[in-house]
Amino acid sequence: MEKIGFIGLGIMGNPMSKNLINAGYSLTVYDINKESVSDVVKAGATAAKTCKEVAEQSEVVITMVPDSPEVEEVVYGEQGVLEGVKSGMLFIDMSTIAPATSQKVYQSLQEKGVEALDAPVSGGQVGAEAGTLSIMVGGSDAAFKRALPILEVMGKNIVHIGDAGAGQVTKACNQVVVGMTIQAVAEALTLAKKSGVNVEKVREALLGGFAQSRILDLHGQRVIDRNFEPGFKVKLHRKDMNIALQTGRDLSVPLHGSAIVAAQMDALLAQGDGELDHSALVLLLEQMANVAEK
Amino acid sequence: MDRIGFIGLGIMGGPMAKNLLKVGYSLTVLDINPQSVDELVKAGATSAEDPCDVARESDIVITMLPDSPDVEKVVLGEEGVIQGIKEGALFIDMSTIAPAMSIKIYEALQDKNVQSLDAPVSGGYMGAENGTLSIMIGGDRTAFDRAFPVFQTLGKNIVYMGETGAGQVTKTCNQIIVGVTLQAVSEALTLAKAAEVDLNKVRQALLGGFAQSKVLDHQGERIIEGNFEPGFKLKLHRKDLNISLETGKEQQVPLPCTAIVAQLMDAGMAQGFGESDHTTITKIFKSTDRA
Repeated sequence: MEKIGFIGLGIMGNPMSKNLINAGYSLTVYDINKESVSDVVKAGATAAKTCKEVAEQSEVVITMVPDSPEVEEVVYGEQGVLEGVKSGMLFIDMSTIAPATSQKVYQSLQEKGVEALDAPVSGGQVGAEAGTLSIMVGGSDAAFKRALPILEVMGKNIVHIGDAGAGQVTKACNQVVVGMTIQAVAEALTLAKKSGVNVEKVREALLGGFAQSRILDLHGQRVIDRNFEPGFKVKLHRKDMNIALQTGRDLSVPLHGSAIVAAQMDALLAQGDGELDHSALVLLLEQMANVAEK
Repeated sequence: MDRIGFIGLGIMGGPMAKNLLKVGYSLTVLDINPQSVDELVKAGATSAEDPCDVARESDIVITMLPDSPDVEKVVLGEEGVIQGIKEGALFIDMSTIAPAMSIKIYEALQDKNVQSLDAPVSGGYMGAENGTLSIMIGGDRTAFDRAFPVFQTLGKNIVYMGETGAGQVTKTCNQIIVGVTLQAVSEALTLAKAAEVDLNKVRQALLGGFAQSKVLDHQGERIIEGNFEPGFKLKLHRKDLNISLETGKEQQVPLPCTAIVAQLMDAGMAQGFGESDHTTITKIFKSTDRA
C-alpha cells in the first residue's frame, strides 16, 4: 500500500483522510488548523510540520484546500510540496480550483518527474463521510490507474474525463449548470407565487415534463419548505462561479447566464447570506419582487 | 356526447381534433388554412364559416392558436366565439398565451354565463398525435370536471392548477425553467468544448449528480450531436418567454436569467435559426463553435 500525504483537513478533507486511514493506508497530514490535525492524528495519522515534509514522507500526496491561491501556496510556497517531491511520486489535487492552475501545477511537477491529477469532487460533506463522492479526474491514463484504488476509498462515481485540467473544467461545468438551474427554478417559482398560483402544485406538474431536474426536485422542495440550511453554501458556490467565469475569460467563452447568477450571489453575500444554502437565490428574488412571505 | 367546436388545426390542433373524432365526438372545425380544414372534414368533421358559427354549433369550444392576439381575435373579435356561444356552454383555450389574456377572456365569457378554462399543453407534436399531452388547467373546478373526459382523450398527465390563469402561469414557469436550463447546458458544454474536453464524458459525469436534468439529457445530446432539427422551434420558445417576461412585468417579478435567454434567442432569430430547434441558441457565438 502506498504511503499517502494529505494536506487540507477541513470539512471535506477530514472525513476523506479518515476513510483512507480506515482502509489501511498510512497517512502523513498537514493543516494550518492545529485542531484539525490532532483530530486526524488521533485517528492514526502522523502530523508533519510543513507541506514539504508531507511530500518527503509520502509516495502519493493529496490536497484538499479551498481555492487556487491555496493550492499554489501549498505547492509553490516556502517549504511547499515542490521542495519535497521525488521523481516517481503522484500528486492528486482534489480541491475545486481553476483549470489553468491545475495545468500550471501539472507542468511544474512534470519537470520533477512527478505525475499530477486534478480530481475535484461533488457530493459534499455527506458524500465525503460516506465515501460516496463523485470524482472528476484529469491527467494521464497511467496516473489515473495508479490513483484509482485510493480514489475508490473516497468516492463511488469516478470518471476519467481527459488530460490535465479536464476534471476541473467538468467541475466548473457542473457548477454552471447547478447554479443556473437553481436560478431558473427560483425565477419560475417566484413568478408563480406572486401570481397567486400554488407553488407546490407547480413543482409537481413541472417535474412530470421537460422542466424536470434534480434541482427542481430537491431545491424546489427546499423553497417550499423554507429550508435554507446548508447543504452547499452560497459563498462556496460563488467561488466556483468565479472559476467558471475566469475560465470563460481565459478561453473567450461568453457565459451570460453564469455572470448573472454570480451577480445574484454577490447580492446575497452583501446582505450577509453567504452561509445559507445556495437555494437562497430564491430569497433574493423574492426580496427584489417584494413578495409577501406566507 | 357534447358537440365540440375546434378552432386552430395546425401542427398541434390537427392531431388533437382527430383524436376527438376517433373517440366519437362530433366536431365543427375552423382554420385560416383551407387544407387543414379539408383534412379534418375528410376525417369526419364539419367545417364552419367563422368562430361565431363554430360556437353556435357547439356545446364545448376549443381553441389551439399561436399566441394571445390570435385568441383575443377569435374569441372577442368580429364574428368571434363570444357572438355565437350559448349560455351554459364551455370554452377551453389550449393555446399557450399570457395569463392576463386568459383572465380577460374568462371575465368576458362569465358575463355570457359561459364557463372557460385555460388549458395549455406540453409534449409537442408527438404528444398531440399520441394523445399523451401534459395539460395544465386553470379555471373553475366544475368546468374542469365537465371538461375532464375531453382532456383524457387528448392527454395523459392532466393537472388542475387552480383559478383562471393558473394553467398559463404554470406553462410559463415550465418554459422559463426549460429555457434557462437549456442556456445553462449550452454555457457548460461550450466552455468544455473550448477547453477541448470530451463533451460526452462531461454530459455523462454531470448526469450522475446535482446537475442532472431532462434538458441536459436530451438537449445536451442534441448539442453534442449537432442535431438542430425541431423538436421545439426556437421562435416558439422565444414567443413563450415573451409571455413569461410580460407576466413578470405585470406582476413586478424580475426575471434576470429569463431575460438574458430571451435576448440570446433574439440573436438566434436574427441569424435565421427561428425554425430550428431551440438548442440552436448554442450556435449564436460562431467563434466559440470550434467543432
